[in-house]
Amino acid sequence: MKRALYSLDWVLLASLLSLAALGLCVLYAAVYQGDMGLWQKQLIFWGAGMTGFLILCFVPLRFLGLVSWPMYSTGLLLLMLVPLIGDVHMGARRWLDIGFTNLQPSEIMKWAMMFVLASWFATREARGFVNIGAPLLLVAVPAALILSQPDLGTTLVLLFATIALLIAAGLPWRIFAAALVLGIASLPVLWHFMHDYQKQRVLTLLDPQSDPLGAGYHVIQSSIAIGSGGLFGKGFLQGTQARLHFLPEQHTDFIFSVLAEEGGLIAVILLLGLYATLISRILLIAQRAHSRFASMLCIGIASIFILYITVNIGMVSGIFPVVGLPLPFISYGGSALVTMLAALGLVMRVAIESHEKIPWQRPGSPLA
Amino acid sequence: MLNKQLEIRQRFNVRMVCFFATTPVFLGLLLFQIMQLQWFEHEKYQLQSDQNRLNIIPLLPVRGEIIDAQGKGLAINHIDYRVTLIPERVKDLDATLHTLAHALHWTDDKVTLLHKRIKHTRPDRSVLLDDKLKWSDVSPLSARLHHYPGINVEAGSYRQYPFAELTSHIIGYLSLANAGDVDDGFLPSEFIGRTGIEKSFETSLHGHLGHQREEVDALGRRIAVINSKPSIMGETVQLALDADIQQAASDALGERTGAVVVMDVHSGGVIALLSKPGYDTNRFITGLESAQWQSWLNNPEKPLLNRATQAAYPPASTFKLVTGLAGLEHGSHLAEGSTFCPGYIEFSDRRLHCWKRRGHDSVNLHKALVESCDVYFYQLADQLGMGIISDTAQAWGLGEKTQIDLAPESRGIIPAQSPYMMAAIKNTQSRRKKWFRGETMITGIGQGALTTTPLQIARLAAAIANGGSILKPQVLAHTPAKVLHQVKVKPEHIQMIRSAMRDVVLSNKGTAHRALNKAAWTSAGKTGTAQVIKLSKNKSIDKDILRHHKDHAWFMGYAPYENPQIAIAVFVEHGGHGGSDAAPVAAAVIQAIATKQSRASDAQASNKHLIRKPGPDS
Repeated sequence: MKRALYSLDWVLLASLLSLAALGLCVLYAAVYQGDMGLWQKQLIFWGAGMTGFLILCFVPLRFLGLVSWPMYSTGLLLLMLVPLIGDVHMGARRWLDIGFTNLQPSEIMKWAMMFVLASWFATREARGFVNIGAPLLLVAVPAALILSQPDLGTTLVLLFATIALLIAAGLPWRIFAAALVLGIASLPVLWHFMHDYQKQRVLTLLDPQSDPLGAGYHVIQSSIAIGSGGLFGKGFLQGTQARLHFLPEQHTDFIFSVLAEEGGLIAVILLLGLYATLISRILLIAQRAHSRFASMLCIGIASIFILYITVNIGMVSGIFPVVGLPLPFISYGGSALVTMLAALGLVMRVAIESHEKIPWQRPGSPLA
Repeated sequence: MLNKQLEIRQRFNVRMVCFFATTPVFLGLLLFQIMQLQWFEHEKYQLQSDQNRLNIIPLLPVRGEIIDAQGKGLAINHIDYRVTLIPERVKDLDATLHTLAHALHWTDDKVTLLHKRIKHTRPDRSVLLDDKLKWSDVSPLSARLHHYPGINVEAGSYRQYPFAELTSHIIGYLSLANAGDVDDGFLPSEFIGRTGIEKSFETSLHGHLGHQREEVDALGRRIAVINSKPSIMGETVQLALDADIQQAASDALGERTGAVVVMDVHSGGVIALLSKPGYDTNRFITGLESAQWQSWLNNPEKPLLNRATQAAYPPASTFKLVTGLAGLEHGSHLAEGSTFCPGYIEFSDRRLHCWKRRGHDSVNLHKALVESCDVYFYQLADQLGMGIISDTAQAWGLGEKTQIDLAPESRGIIPAQSPYMMAAIKNTQSRRKKWFRGETMITGIGQGALTTTPLQIARLAAAIANGGSILKPQVLAHTPAKVLHQVKVKPEHIQMIRSAMRDVVLSNKGTAHRALNKAAWTSAGKTGTAQVIKLSKNKSIDKDILRHHKDHAWFMGYAPYENPQIAIAVFVEHGGHGGSDAAPVAAAVIQAIATKQSRASDAQASNKHLIRKPGPDS
């Protein structure tokens, strides 16, 4: 136990706890004029998430290797059930009612996918037709199912993490470049298959003023909130955009604009600094990991954080279209928080195992 | 094997470096965008944020009232409730209008009209949807107002004209601010004076806009009032006009078309200024239907025309006073002597008739004015020439604007003023062959090209009464007299004219004798009958001729004769004869003024009596 404490990555933990404090402050400001119960709930989610985080710190990674394939199969099965018996909410069929709560199979799939890809590349490099093709096929089926729900955000996460893992696993650059060119060339085709509301989001991004009270309203109002915050912000609980409800979804997807309005550029730099510390720490742990599986796992997790942060802040500040991804550790929401803390628990476990040189597979394995 | 592992490890390390390098790129992109917003464009967004949260509600001023000399309301305000809408704050315009239409019982046409009006208004400006509502109409709505963002129920006031048609031309009308007014800073829901006093004294009457700055939330709901500046009510404007006298004039004129002007001979105060037919100025406040407007415009009686100031007619025999004054002042021996009227005058190849075909026998200036002999004035005008007549007419305030504060105003025409006619008179090069001698002669009796407004004629009467002061007609009460210019005229000459005017009323042969001799006040005056077309010598068709070919009837004069107070001009369009048709109107007006004054002095006397009463007891 003492050794375990000694092997903890304190920088990772410190940046996580700082994010927790900052997130709870910002959420407090966001719900201050509304439902304070949400803040208390989030506090409970933090407690639950941190418990999960701590538990995972002590679960040997090799168990993960064991559950990854069954998890993937279950996730796929549930995903296929969604179009048949799923609940429709806000125009998308994403949820399964499992009695006591609603389950989002795409959420399970996201993590299962990463475990499967990490164990696939734990013993292989992303070179050769089979080594690249098989994981792509493993991703393509669930990705197509998720996209058809439709859930663009999760699909993006899946694709982005897959690309990151392929690159980490040594994908030849020329294949990457070719795929990139092909991807850009296929954008018009993608456009054709997009839903009207998704097209509208893209159009709104290009010119938010074209529909200032319709789809562009969210982006305009959050830009006003961020811009009016200035260098030092309007002060804690003093943001007029937030207080007077001009911001849409200000405790979930648009919470960044509350932080930017009340805390100004100073708070934004603080947040981005914490994220930079967290991500680079995860990457450092990936670099030092004792097994290739652990490295892949950390890289996948880091890529997901990067995507969440970039898409969320980019959306709120008007760089990207409105895609519903939460801001890690800041946005209100139990399941997202708990899964992200669990993911960090895995990273921490990697750090511990690397420090203590705990073998994750039988000795003599080729890529150990 | 080991090499292979080393190679894989090395490749992995290279890829890790790529990841370390890419992370700052993503975060840097975000930071750049945020800096753009928070640093470089901060001011712009700060402004937008303030505009978001601050709502400036205009507080419309209450328009000043217009009262008559006795304090009777001519244009007053009634408290009402109105519903306004700020387009940009409305989430669902159609649904909102539908709900309001149901609550306020609007027709579909009105909804369509409002829809159009809202589309043409700047989204941040409030649009008037409905007004003149009672509290009972709006109270259910105002209780549920938070369901309809962008809708406001405001207490306001609306204009009412208790005398409507009677005062339409002097008071004028209002209408909602148009695009041009909005550019000048008015709100679309403000009323602006368009004619009459409402226009002339717009700046005093309008008052000053106030505003209330409020903090509102995203639904337009008021969170707090930050500050407010109350509106300032417009000033009350008191007119010299007396509604009772105006009413008396209107009653006397009855259904006939025409104008009556009553002026204070000393101050120039306009006691009555009536033009008939009038129009209901209240209709402009409720929202004038274009059908009504068109019917006014197309009405041959031209109800929108202010005949007292905007229309000029031949002054007919009332002008003989001017010709007579010109003769006296220029030492014409005809003016001091006499001539013979055989009922006509012949010159070159033409013959002009006197109205009295039998002739007036021997006539001097006095008799010529009293009996309105045309032949005498043909001769006098012929002797004086057009230049002298024009100069005298101009000196007495004809052919120029009276400067009354009721624009627009007609100047009337004095032939010599027009360069075209001047050229003709001087017989210089002109398209017109020649100024005929006969034209000067008929100008001498107020016919021909000469035209004057009833207001000018009333002012002429006032000037004769007050000894030659040409006054600015004052529409406001308690305004000191403004003498525009003083006519240089010998007192004995003006006295000769006055005594002739007196005999027009007093003498058995005077043209206004029958109408005015028995009035409560002694009066002096002159009648006029303006020929509209040259009637055939056969007078038997008189009864059959179209109304529009009937002569205009004039009367002008002043009263009381000994101590003049008021001057009056009566004009009856196609009314017939001055003595029989216009003079009785003047008689009724003078009677009304006299009665009112004697009642007022009685009241004053009894008041004094009451005050004095306790004196001896104590």
